[in-house]
Amino acid sequence: MSEQKVDYSKLDVGHEFPQTTFNLDSSLVADYISVVGETSPLYRDSRLVPPMAMAAFAMAALSKGLSLPSGAIHVSQEMEFLSTVSTSDAITSHARVSRKQKRSIFQILTIDFSAFNQDNQKVMTGSTEFILPAASAGSGR
Amino acid sequence: MMSEHTLMEVSKLAPGMALPELKKRITQEDINRYAEVSRDFNPIHIDEDFARKTPLGGTIAHGMLVLAYVSQMMTMAFGKDWLTGGKLSVRFKAPARPGDIVNINGKVVKVEKSGEQSIVGCELLCSNQNGDAIIIGETEVRVKQ
Repeated sequence: MSEQKVDYSKLDVGHEFPQTTFNLDSSLVADYISVVGETSPLYRDSRLVPPMAMAAFAMAALSKGLSLPSGAIHVSQEMEFLSTVSTSDAITSHARVSRKQKRSIFQILTIDFSAFNQDNQKVMTGSTEFILPAASAGSGR
Repeated sequence: MMSEHTLMEVSKLAPGMALPELKKRITQEDINRYAEVSRDFNPIHIDEDFARKTPLGGTIAHGMLVLAYVSQMMTMAFGKDWLTGGKLSVRFKAPARPGDIVNINGKVVKVEKSGEQSIVGCELLCSNQNGDAIIIGETEVRVKQ
């Protein structure tokens, strides 16, 4: 994937981000499990990956191609997990702008995404919504 | 109090039942480590000087970090079914800040049996130690009988 970032102001509804493929590296997944304090026995002595880890890595991949102002606020999130994923799986994520709406002093930007494993099986879909203030003051979430 | 890893019994699921509660204390170290693993280095999460000058007045946890706790609760309740048929829809109402104790709570609101599986709908609330809502929303899981 190109490291070129698209400024959010240039995005239109229907814009598709370049697809990104990343590997669910076992040490990265182990770090994730440690950081979030996940204790489920499901992930002990198995290669299963917490679904929210896959979502976080997919969003990280998306963020490489998107430049948001420092005042962007993550306001809502939808996700559906369709199949388990395991360490060493190669995940390809797709994302497109589904909504961009101006409201007085801010804009709403919604990005839909989906992720597929190396067998081209859909493993996750979701939607992320940001509010982008006109006067960027630094925010996040 | 339910054991942390006791899955909910599908046959006994009914509206009103509470999911296993989870409490997490947020620290700046957790947030910094989450930034590293998720590659989300927005300064509002990790740069205290920057964050202090914003309307938020200080650093805040990544929303996806708190959602990781939600997913943990759902895995405690429904095991692998959450990984293969879990769904969530949430709104971030307020930030979680370093020092906060986040309570992650869920309650069954719907159980629909359909053949070999049931669709279980839950309400979700993450709140801080003052009772302020941080995340509200719904989850749904397809559970096998």
